[in-house]
Formats: sequence, C-alpha cells, structure tokens
Amino acid sequence: MSIFKGLGTVVKHLLEDPVTISYPEVERPVRERFKGKHALKRYDNGLEKCIGCALCAAACPADAIWVEAAENTDEERYSPGERYAKTYEINMLRCIFCGYCEDACPTEAIVLEHEYRLSFTDRRDSIYTKEMLIDAPPDGVPETPQKVEPGAFDRAIPDMENPK
Amino acid sequence: MPDKVEFVTIFIDGEAYQVPKGANLVDVAKFYADNDIPVFCYHPKMSPVGMCRMCLVELGNSVDRQTNDIKYNADGKPEVMWFPKLQTACTTTVTHGMAVRTDTPKVTDARDDVIEFILTSHPLDCPICDKGGECPLQNLTMRHGAGVSRFDFDNKLHLDKHVPLGELIYLDRERCIQCARCTRFCDEVVGDPVLGFHERGRSLQIVTLSDPPFDTYFSGNTTDICPVGALTTADFRFGARPWELNEVPSLDPYGPEGANISLSTRLDRDSGGVTIIKRVMPRQNEYVNEIWISDKTRFGHHHSRAENRLSKPMVRREDGTLETVSWNEALNTIAEVLKKSAGSVGAVAGPMVSNEDLWELRQLVELTGGSKLGIWPATMTGAEAVAQVGVGTGTNFKDMGKGTTIVVVASDLEEEAPIWFLRTKQARDRGAKLMLLTARPTKLDKYAACILRHHHGETLNAVNNLIGAVLSSDGFTFEESRAEGFDTVKKAKYKGDEAGYDEAAKMITGAENVVVLVGHEGLTLAQHGDVMQSAANLLILTGHVGKPNNGLIPVWPGANTQGALDLGFSAEATADALSQSVVIVAGADPVGTDPAAKAFIASADFVIALSMFDTATTAIAKVILPRQSVPERDGTFTNGERRVQRFYTAQGLIGDTRPDWKVFSQLSNLIDPAVKVRLSAAAVMAEITKNVPRYAEMSYKNLARMEKQFPDVGGDDLYYGGTAYGNHGGLGVQWPVDAEAAGKKLTLKAVKSEKTAKRKGLVAVPVRRLYDRSPEFSASQMMHQRIPSAYAQLSRKDAEKLKVVEGDDITLVFGDGKVRVTAKVDGSTPEGVVLVPVNLTDNPVPTAPMAVEVEK
Repeated sequence: MSIFKGLGTVVKHLLEDPVTISYPEVERPVRERFKGKHALKRYDNGLEKCIGCALCAAACPADAIWVEAAENTDEERYSPGERYAKTYEINMLRCIFCGYCEDACPTEAIVLEHEYRLSFTDRRDSIYTKEMLIDAPPDGVPETPQKVEPGAFDRAIPDMENPK
Repeated sequence: MPDKVEFVTIFIDGEAYQVPKGANLVDVAKFYADNDIPVFCYHPKMSPVGMCRMCLVELGNSVDRQTNDIKYNADGKPEVMWFPKLQTACTTTVTHGMAVRTDTPKVTDARDDVIEFILTSHPLDCPICDKGGECPLQNLTMRHGAGVSRFDFDNKLHLDKHVPLGELIYLDRERCIQCARCTRFCDEVVGDPVLGFHERGRSLQIVTLSDPPFDTYFSGNTTDICPVGALTTADFRFGARPWELNEVPSLDPYGPEGANISLSTRLDRDSGGVTIIKRVMPRQNEYVNEIWISDKTRFGHHHSRAENRLSKPMVRREDGTLETVSWNEALNTIAEVLKKSAGSVGAVAGPMVSNEDLWELRQLVELTGGSKLGIWPATMTGAEAVAQVGVGTGTNFKDMGKGTTIVVVASDLEEEAPIWFLRTKQARDRGAKLMLLTARPTKLDKYAACILRHHHGETLNAVNNLIGAVLSSDGFTFEESRAEGFDTVKKAKYKGDEAGYDEAAKMITGAENVVVLVGHEGLTLAQHGDVMQSAANLLILTGHVGKPNNGLIPVWPGANTQGALDLGFSAEATADALSQSVVIVAGADPVGTDPAAKAFIASADFVIALSMFDTATTAIAKVILPRQSVPERDGTFTNGERRVQRFYTAQGLIGDTRPDWKVFSQLSNLIDPAVKVRLSAAAVMAEITKNVPRYAEMSYKNLARMEKQFPDVGGDDLYYGGTAYGNHGGLGVQWPVDAEAAGKKLTLKAVKSEKTAKRKGLVAVPVRRLYDRSPEFSASQMMHQRIPSAYAQLSRKDAEKLKVVEGDDITLVFGDGKVRVTAKVDGSTPEGVVLVPVNLTDNPVPTAPMAVEVEK
C-alpha cells in the first residue's frame, strides 16, 4: 500500500507550479523589510541626509563602515548643518547586513534597501564609496555641493519634531 | 594633596574618612572616597564659583558645639544635624565632623532637575559635535537625564553656532551652559583676561574683545576644560570621533619645559591611509605641565606630515646636482669620507634631537677620532652650574607658594617657556614672591614683587650686585661646610649697596625656597656662562640648593638642550665643530639661522645634513639624510628641570626615513665592523645607562613608571578635570645634582663683575618669540596669522633720532648681514637697543647681541 502513498505524493507535486525561477531573467520580489545594499538618502531639496557623525561606524559590529567628516559652507553645502561626510565607505565583504547602522543613524540617512546583487571580482571593489551608495538627487534638483542662502541650513536636523 | 596639613574626620555617605582640613569637598570625595560628585563649573585647578548647581549634596554637622567632638549615637553612627536645604559641594570646604550624603533621592532628584534645566537650552547636536563621546554633559545626561523631554524643541534658544574666537578656537553659543570655566581659566590661571561674559540670564554669551581675538598662548586649554562642545579647536574640527582615536604618549618638541602630550591618532584617507595625528591633547604630569599645554604645542604638530618633508637620502654629485640615492649608497658615501678624515670630524645637534640620537652621534664622532660636539642654537651654556645646583629632584612649581621666591633672570618667560610662565604666575598667586632681573618689561612685570632693571648685557653685574647685597645683609651667615671657595666671592668685592638691591636680598635670604630661572636675552655665550655661574653662587651662598623647589632652571632654547649637555655636547664647541673639515649637522640649520655660522661652516669640505626640511644648511650639504619627526619614532628628551621623559611612536612614517640613532649606529658599524648596530632606541638607552652615571636610572622601564596624581583627570568622569588625558607613558625621572649628594662639597667660583662700557650706537638684541618661522612650526598653516611678521622693536627716543615711525620698513645692517623688517616703536624697549626676534626674518639675524645700524 505504501507504494501508492509515495506515488500519490509524486503525482501531487507533478501538478504543482515549480518553486524555482529562472534568475536572472526573472527576479523574485524580496520582503518588505529585506536588508540589502545600503543607500544614503537625500532630502527633497537634494541635500544629503548624512551629516558624517560616524555613529553608524561606531554601531557597526563588523567594523565595515569608514566615515571622514568635513565642514559645510553656504557656498558648498552638502548637508544641513555644519558637518557632512567627506568620505563614506562600506566594505561589503565585511558587512553582515544587520542594520545596526540604520538604527544608529540620527538623521535616517542610511537605509538598507532591497538591492542584493553585490558581486565583484576584486576584493578592493568590495569597498563601496559614497558615490556608489548615495541616491541620485530628485528630478530638477542640483547635485551637492549646492550654493545656498546664508543661514538657511544652520542645523543638522532641520525638521525635528516636537514631543507629542 | 599637600602633606603637611591637619587631617579631620568627615562622613561621606555614612563612612568616616580622614581628609585634609580646608580642602574642597568635591576633591576630597573623589580622592579619598572615590565618590564622583558631578560638576560642570567646578574645576580642581580653579577656584569654585557654584554656578551650575550640579554638585548639590546634603550637608550636615555632627559636632557637639560645646565639646567640639563628634557626637555618636548608640550604634556608633554619628548624630548629624542635617541642613534643611541642599548645598553645593564645590563651594564647601571640609571641616571637622562634617557629614555628606550624595546618594539620597533628594540629591538625585535635584541633580536630575539641574540636568533637565540645562538641557532646555542645549541643542541636540551630539552627532556633529566634536565633544560628542567625551562630553561631560553627555555623560551626566546618561546618568541623570530624564529620558523624555518635556520641552518644545522650537522653544529652545537658538544662537549662533559658528563663532570663530580667532582662527584657533570656535565657539558654539547654543551649546554653552555658562559655567565660566573658560573665562576663569583666562583670568585666573593664565592672567590674560581676554574672554568675558556679555549680557545676562538666558542671553549670557561668551565674547572676546581682544585683538587678535582670544589673544593668549593657552587658548586651546579652554577646549579641554569646556564641559560641553561650546569651545572646539579649528585644528580638530570634525577630524574624527573621540572613540576612534588611539592615544600615544609623547612630548612637546619645542620648549624646554618638556610638556607631556597625548597624540590622538587615526587612519586617514587623505594621507594615503596611514596613521596620522588628528589632534594634540595635554597629558597629565603634575610635575611638568599639570594639564596645560601652550597653543604652540597643541597646534604645531603639522610638521610631522608636511608636504615638503624630505623623504629620501640625497647625495650631491661632483657637478653640484642632487641625486636621490638608496640608504646604503648614502651611508657608504659618508662612511668612506669619515674613514679618510679621522680626527677632523665635528658634529652639531639641534634642539629636537633625542638623547639616543645624541649618544650614537657622539659614538660615531669619537670613533673617527673627533671630539667637537656642538649644540644648536649655541646661545646658552652652563652645564656645570646645572650639575651642581640644578633644581632638586621632586621640584614642582605646584608646591611653590608662600615662602618661595622665584627669580627670573634675562628671560621673557612667556615667549621662551610658556608653561613655566603659567606655573610661575600661579605660584605667585599662591603667595610666592617673584623677582625679575630683566632688561625690559615683560608680561611677568605685573606679577613681580621686585624688579631689578638693568641694561641688556649687564645681567652679570645685576646678579653679582644681588650677591653683594645678600652678603652685606643682616644675619647672613655662610656655612663653610657647604662649599669651598667662599674667599673667592669675598675677594670679588661685589657692590652691595645698589639702590633696591637690599630689598631683593631680603627676598632671597628670607625665603624658604628659591628658584632661579636663567635665560640669555642680551647676553653673549660667554656672558651667559658667567651669569649661570653667578646665579649658582647666589644659590649656594644662601643655601637654596639640594632640596626640592630650590635651585637653578635654565630656560634652554630647545626641548632637549639639557640632554645634549648631559651627553657631552656644548655650545662652546659649536664654532669649532662647524669649522672641522667634515661636519655632521643633525636637526639644525646653522647656516639659515646665524650669519656667523655661515662663515664657520665655509671651511668645511664635506657637510652631512640630517634634516626634515630643505634648509640653507642642506643647500650646502654633500649628503642629505631625511630625519624623522618626534611622533614618528620613540626616544627620550631631558627637560630644563633635568627630567628625562619618553615619547612613543605615534604615526606612520612619511617617506623612507630612519631614526638618527640608527643612522649613526649603522655608520659606526660601516667604519668599524666591530661596533654593533643598535636595534632599538631602548637598546641605545640601555647603553647610555651603563656609560653615563647620571643616566644610570634612566632605563625605559623606569621612565615609564607612574604614580597616582592629584587631581585625577582622564578617567570616565570627564566633567571633573576636562578632557586632558591621564598619564600612561610615565612621569620620567630627574637626575640628582651634586648639591643633593650627601657629603659632596660644592664649589663657589666667583665671577668678576664686568666694567660697564660706555654705551654708544645701537645694539641688536635677539629675542625669542613663541610663534616663529622655524620650518617645523610654520608647517602649521593655521598658526600663520598668529606668527608676527618680521619686525624690530625700537625705543621712542631712538626712533625719533632715526626719524622712524611705527610701521616703517627699515633695514638692519650688522656686519655683512642685512635684514628688512617693520619698525615697532614702543615705550617698553630700552634706549640704545633694537629688539630683533629670531626666526622671523628671511635672512638670519645674529643669535647674540651685536652692533647694528638702522637704515630707512
């Protein structure tokens, strides 16, 4: 009898759709909270959210992030406030995609997004620079550094909410 | 804590402690009970003001008023009458039977409220604040903060965030919590009242009205003691986060004080991924610099990775062209020359050359049969006087107060040794008397109890007259057993009746401790030697030798001049050394800094220059070897108080360089293969300890020794002492002078007073300025605005005669030398003298006084 039970299972699965997909022609959508490659975000006016505080680097358990900061001027403004990230690098070979950097970020500048295709043929290429990580500015908004009105972006966190 | 004080019993959280009477409660709780009372405005190095209210504690008294004894109840616990309200600990001095409670809910609540109140006006800036991570306010908020804000963000006070106080310090007005530490530091500690409060209440702001802004040599220290990120340095601005930094103990490479510093290093992308110095912080050494350093020390570190650093050995070919060569070729070239020129090799070592380098240099020169070992600058001498009566071991300016007389001879202490200026000034504030034997007014004048003004160059007579006045003062007795040669002093017949000198003599004979700081302003080398000897005589005669806080401190021109003298180098030998046929110049630029040196070195056939930069000396050198800067290597310096101290390797190498000791050791080995190449600086020091009796105790292990220091800084409680670092590199060891050796008789060698020649014409007197154009210091771009432009200072009368007014461009002509400078005319310059700062002009000015003509 057991032989029929086994055959029944085979027949059942023959009728099901296959689980495999033919990647890379077809891609499976990832989950909403999937943690893939990092993106550095911008405000709507094109300024970078990242203020170069290096708290992500401090929070990183794999020591994958390297930040060097420099000072903004109104002539050359990268981010609101005085400080911006001059160098921002993530070593994707070290990164364990834990998302602690995202948690540590005081300006929600770094977000682990859905990109998971991270391949390279040289170890040195595993270091993703700021240019590779940062989002493009919104349409019609100039790239950073921007020349801005003096005094318009004095503070690092421009739209801090009041306590409810 | 001072030792000789009355101890009283106090109770901190129920425990009894024996503490010095009259000490500050915050200090006592920390030192004796390990109880960290949080503070913002209080600082152990300054007087309390009680402004921040963070140190609230419950205070009480357990003393029976009738018997003045502590009342105990049946359990043996003290019966305390508690004050109804909380008190500030920082404004409380401990008394017998005092009881303190620091952990009750009442106290914690009060502290929580103070933090919440301070935070109502403090921005949420921590992510971009340079103080973030080592911030007292941040730390105390973690301990006492409410966690939830009751305060509307938009209601926070918004003030200017980027206010430069000069080029060195930035002020963030929003972050300031009005503790007044910076203003008090300037007023009390330094005596430059250049910072102040403007307006009142919530609009209270820090302002500076001086020109240039924040005009003090110690401005950087305010950033250390600022309990928030209101004051930050331009040098470190956004340079790194504090937790990313590695701390390496090091030493100030500039001054004779030997200030202890901590180099904060980190990898840097722009510098090619090597470890570089991100900032310089003070390192606590209560014997040397406490927790203060000058701005020169703090911001003058950029030379260690300047772009124009020499990075490869170079050899000058027959046709005069320089060719970059390998170390092997360079060393072989030198070895060949040295082998051939036995007996005619001289060496001159600069002010930043470490003891290990000096020792190996001496071995090399002696191996070739040479003996001429000079120092640069060759302006000061007196190794013998120091060996006899240098300050006693354990000397600490911090212990000087009432009963101490500090004598400053021929020196502008603020410019030549700012840390000693600071400590002298503070000793005077504690009650020490300050006597000046100077030729012109300096900043110390306003603190002096006695000023014996004399003409430039006549310092010897001033010192001798002081001895004369001491000899003829009432009650002066000389213990014959102390020293021999008293008759030479008596025979010298010093004038004892000069006006004002009897008062001065009383200040010396009546003092418990006397320290004499001797500079060289207006003196030739020979005159300076005489002044040193005479100053030593004065100290021996009055018995102020051989014990702590007594003796002689020379204000040497460099960080390791003392070390050079200890290891057999001397200023007297410099001229001879430069005139040898083969001259090794290590870390100095004689040609570029003295017109006389140019003439001496002209006779040399083969000059070997070890230098960090292209200088006038490397321009005539046949072989140029790149030197390493202090942060790139380890070694020891000996400061003016004869304290041998270690510095450690902090930063990655720039170029293909080797430490000097290695170069010299390898050369010795090439000349004589029997000489072994030393493998480390520690090995060289081990050799020194075996061969130089005074350095017998100076093994690296001994030099790295530590002891508990008061006040305790550099711990987790940054709110107490500021962000100065604790000492992990060792306090160093002082070598004892002859006067301290039991049974050793000192020698008085009287120096005859000079006949005062009739003064005619103008004399150029070289003076030292703290900020100069030496290649090392001028590598710090940010300091350029503070370095004075080339100038010469004239008296009003001379200026009138020459028809020169302030700001005129004038030419100074001395001998063959000529320099173009801007004239400064002011009342402080003595008549007949032109003060010419060294190391400011393009062409060298004389390093000793010299007749000068002024042309318009």
